[in-house]
Amino acid sequence: MGGITEMEIGLAHYLTVGAILFVLGIFGIFLNRKNVIVILMSVELILLSVNLNFVAFSAKLQDLTGQVFALFVLTVAAAEAAIGLAIVVIYFRNRGSIEVEEISTLKG
Amino acid sequence: MNWTLALPELVLAIGTLLILVAGVLPKRETYFPVCMASIGALLLTAVLVLAQGEGSAFGGQYIADGFSRFMKVLALLAAAVGLLLALDFNEKERIGRFEYPVLLLLASLGMLVMISANDLLVLYMGIELLSLPLYVIAAFDRDNGRSAEAGLKYFVLGALASGLMLYGSSLVYGFAGATGFDQIAAAFNHQHGVSAGVVVGVVFVIAGLAFKVSAVPFHMWTPDVYEGAPTPVTAFFSAAPKVAALALLARVLYDPFGDLAPQWQQVIILMSLLSMVLGAFAAIGQQNIKRLMAYSSIGHVGYALMGLAVADTAGLRGLLIYMAIYVAMNLGAFAVLIAMRRQGKAVETVADLAGLGRTDPMRAAWMSIFMFSMAGIPPLAGFFGKLYVFLAAVQGGLWLLAVVGVLASVVSAYYYLRIVKVMYFDEAAGRLDDAPASLGVVMAAAGIFTLAFALWPAPLVAAAQSAAMALLGG
Amino acid sequence: MFVGAIFFPLLGATISGFLGRWIGDRAAQWVSVTCMVLAALCGILAFLEVALGGHHTVVPLVTWMDVGGLEVSWALRYDTLSVVMVAMVTFISTLIHLYSVGYMSHDATPARFFAYLSLFTFMMLMLVTADNLAQLFFGWEGVGLASYLLIGYWYDRDSANRAAMKAFIVNRVGDVCFMLGLALVFYVFGSIEFETIFAAIPQHAEDRFGGVRAMELIGFLLFLGACGKSAQLGLHTWLPDAMEGPTPVSALIHAATMVTAGVFLVCRMSPIFEVAPTALGFVCFLGATTALFAATIGCVQNDIKRVIAYSTCSQLGYMFFAAGVGAYQVAMFHLFTHAFFKALLFLAAGSVIHAMSDEQDIRRMGGIWKKIPITYAVFWIGSLALAGVPFFAGYYSKDAIIEAAFAAHSGVGTYAFLCGILAAFLTAFYSWRLILLTFHGEPRADHHTMEHVHESPWVMLIPLLVLATGAIVTGAIFAPLFIGEHEHGFWRGAIVNGPHNHVLHAMHEVPSWVPVLPTIIGLSGIALAFLMYVFVPSLPHRLAERFHGPYHFLLNKWYFDELYDRIFVQPAQRLATVLWKTGDAKIIDGLPNGAARLAAGVSRGAVGLQTGRVANYAFAMIIGLVVLVTLFLFRA
Repeated sequence: MGGITEMEIGLAHYLTVGAILFVLGIFGIFLNRKNVIVILMSVELILLSVNLNFVAFSAKLQDLTGQVFALFVLTVAAAEAAIGLAIVVIYFRNRGSIEVEEISTLKG
Repeated sequence: MNWTLALPELVLAIGTLLILVAGVLPKRETYFPVCMASIGALLLTAVLVLAQGEGSAFGGQYIADGFSRFMKVLALLAAAVGLLLALDFNEKERIGRFEYPVLLLLASLGMLVMISANDLLVLYMGIELLSLPLYVIAAFDRDNGRSAEAGLKYFVLGALASGLMLYGSSLVYGFAGATGFDQIAAAFNHQHGVSAGVVVGVVFVIAGLAFKVSAVPFHMWTPDVYEGAPTPVTAFFSAAPKVAALALLARVLYDPFGDLAPQWQQVIILMSLLSMVLGAFAAIGQQNIKRLMAYSSIGHVGYALMGLAVADTAGLRGLLIYMAIYVAMNLGAFAVLIAMRRQGKAVETVADLAGLGRTDPMRAAWMSIFMFSMAGIPPLAGFFGKLYVFLAAVQGGLWLLAVVGVLASVVSAYYYLRIVKVMYFDEAAGRLDDAPASLGVVMAAAGIFTLAFALWPAPLVAAAQSAAMALLGG
Repeated sequence: MFVGAIFFPLLGATISGFLGRWIGDRAAQWVSVTCMVLAALCGILAFLEVALGGHHTVVPLVTWMDVGGLEVSWALRYDTLSVVMVAMVTFISTLIHLYSVGYMSHDATPARFFAYLSLFTFMMLMLVTADNLAQLFFGWEGVGLASYLLIGYWYDRDSANRAAMKAFIVNRVGDVCFMLGLALVFYVFGSIEFETIFAAIPQHAEDRFGGVRAMELIGFLLFLGACGKSAQLGLHTWLPDAMEGPTPVSALIHAATMVTAGVFLVCRMSPIFEVAPTALGFVCFLGATTALFAATIGCVQNDIKRVIAYSTCSQLGYMFFAAGVGAYQVAMFHLFTHAFFKALLFLAAGSVIHAMSDEQDIRRMGGIWKKIPITYAVFWIGSLALAGVPFFAGYYSKDAIIEAAFAAHSGVGTYAFLCGILAAFLTAFYSWRLILLTFHGEPRADHHTMEHVHESPWVMLIPLLVLATGAIVTGAIFAPLFIGEHEHGFWRGAIVNGPHNHVLHAMHEVPSWVPVLPTIIGLSGIALAFLMYVFVPSLPHRLAERFHGPYHFLLNKWYFDELYDRIFVQPAQRLATVLWKTGDAKIIDGLPNGAARLAAGVSRGAVGLQTGRVANYAFAMIIGLVVLVTLFLFRA
């Protein structure tokens, strides 16, 4: 059984995965040069890492709050994605492109 | 469960839904009546807030006290005036659709939730309820590329900020073992020293809120969004949401993280310093007046944060007074900007104000009052706002902040006075259209407040004092 | 009643100022007149109760602020000193409002004018009923603002704008001194409430500040503040230029009320001046000098309003030197009677100007007395009162001043006495010069103007007649109360005379030639005017030729404006030009040096970060986050 204990996936693993996802999401936002959809996906990635954290903590703490929180985050994320896509559509209609590099007429 | 405590929020939520239905059903355009009903709903809610009891509800997740009352009334008034500012502009720009007031109502509901939040979950819900409508109204002029770009930028960065804040919340939850502010405070009270995870969590939560108040270095969205969004939207952005976010920031810092004050104080001091300096310098060369106002608002947030950094009752009182005065003079100035039209077309550069002193002396006089007040020239209200935070900072030993604050206000006086100079001494670029009555009312009301505050500051100061005491309990 | 007297004018100002556009000009005018009538009724009732009934009272309004150990309240202080001013200001202001209805009938924006006028009245009342120095300062700045607005009322005239700016700037000089005095009072006494200050004077009488007695310093600073407002020598240059404003404004602000605020201040602070003999001596000296100086200039001016303006300046000098010898009651009495006859003279001058189609130069008038008999008659009454001819109002007060100066038996007192006698002679002379040139002789205006000469409408004449009555009777009626045997029961401690100050008593026991002298001097001044302008009309011209230098010296007002222009205005302009060129212009053009370069550089740097790219913004946020976490950990 000892070997299994060694291999057991603990809180630290979850948090590490969460942190990796989070950093991936952030890098996705500012290293991405292509289009805005990738940014939306990166935001989803960040929220995913947050949910993972919440659920992991919730399990560790034997406390349901974290899971409830995760459900709320999921719901809001859906609404946020809808609004985000709507704005992207509006933007595309006006400018005919969703290249990230081109979203820079307002500056200074 | 004492749900009647949350009556203002409930009334506003139900009212918003009813107004939405009433706006959808008729065949004709319902913009004007919906606006009026929305202003009524906001004012009714403000009255309910004033009549609200004190205590906590929903298992401690919701709190109502003197502090929340002060901030809610301020935010609701700012929202109502913000809506009034849009009344005429939106129709002239052909974006007079009834969704606008409904979205503002939803955002206001989000602000109320934020101000009364006593739990990380409620905090998140409040912020999202505020943010989602704001993303939409930033892009409300949907056939205008600049407005769409503003909305897109605001959305992307806002989503990032709320992601950061959520990540911080999850860490705080993990290390404190709860999401309620009271439990978090109790948990930190027992721990000695703070782990790196908690630090990251706290800073990330602060960052999410600092984004909403556009404090440096989370301000980057502000100038672009202010410039691109329709002007009444900019006016709204610069007033009500900042009040709510600062209220929430104050509560989060003092309540759950109160024991970490020596640490977060450094963070707030740095943000305050950077905001004041950036706000003063970056606005100097601006030609677009909305962009100028964006940098100006960043600077003002710096002064408000100075009050927060002091971390005592005097500082918090200074913050509250500052915000009340800032909201009044800022909305007044925006009323002048929104009224800037030449032959029916909206104009928005500083040069377009040239000669206003001759063509419309009354409007130029109001604008000068707002500019002088923002520059902090006595005896206008803006001077007293700064005075209260400076005094608190000096008494709290934050000399560096006070000195930099004074220097920054000298620098920023330059560009405020430049506007006055352009209005009175430059050759007229052509006559501006007459201001509609709704904007004239806002200008006059804000102007009289700015002028008369020096005569009778006692009520506001007393209200701010008791609100600050309610939060800090002493 | 007490509150009404103060706030009815504010109500009137608010209605005609903000609602004037909707209710129409006529309605706005009559609303503000009605408010003023109500205020005047309240003011007179208050006078009866407080001054004659002897019920001094303080009416608290609201707490203004209480921070940092400084608690200040808005309150109305009603003692004899303030109620005399309240009654006088409301009464005269009402008459002038009424007069303005006629005078401003051809104006484009009368609602604005009446709003300013009522606002001024409110501020003046705030000043005189102040219960503490902060409130007094508020009123002080308020009347300054209203005066500025009214001088520049015709803002499309360049000269009006310049005059308004001049009044504003010169007054700022005085105000700085006033503020320093206020700060010093707070430093010494720890309070700015009159009650507290006056009670604490004995403890602090010998306090020193920077090696000088604090009381003397406070006295000097407050008096310098008063000089600005009351146009005393050195800071007088704005008053004649202020005549650019409409004539009712000159009558109300620059003759009857605002300019007397300085005298009022000295009287109000009499407890402090009583323990500051050096400051008081300075008040006396400067007042006496101004009285003479302004009178000499008045003799050669040719603008009807400017002559009266210099006369005001001179009479204010009388008031100051009366206060300077410790006879504050006499100063207040002269202030009171002067308000009537000087307002009368200004309004009568306004009536003349109105009749002459806006002509103000007396060299182009003459021969009109038969056409405007009522104006002519009241002008005589006003001048008789001004010259101190027996049994007119000015006789009682001016005689008393000269007697008090004589009775002071001090160096400056004697100097003031001599200046006062000489100035009385000149006053009589220039007054009749004005009458004779304006109304008598051959008509010198063109034919067209002469045809249009007409008596003013009744709405203008009624105030004139009321004021004329006042100029005749106020002296005889009020002399026993203000300075006579009932003096003590009248003032009831509102003015403090120190234990060694017996001037009020002594002035009744001067040698018998002293009271007669001013009358004789005055009559001879009148006689000289008749001699020069009626019997030997060529004499003035010959004198001017003969004494070319002195004549031009006087005509150019002792070259004060030129002097100030050289010393202050031109260097300031050069400095401003330099600053403008190196500062403003270069920051904007982006070719800076020194601090300007730094500012522009920082600005460009800050703006340069704002690339417009979302990715960069997100990156900045993350960098900021890292910095903040580091900072946080560092502290932990």
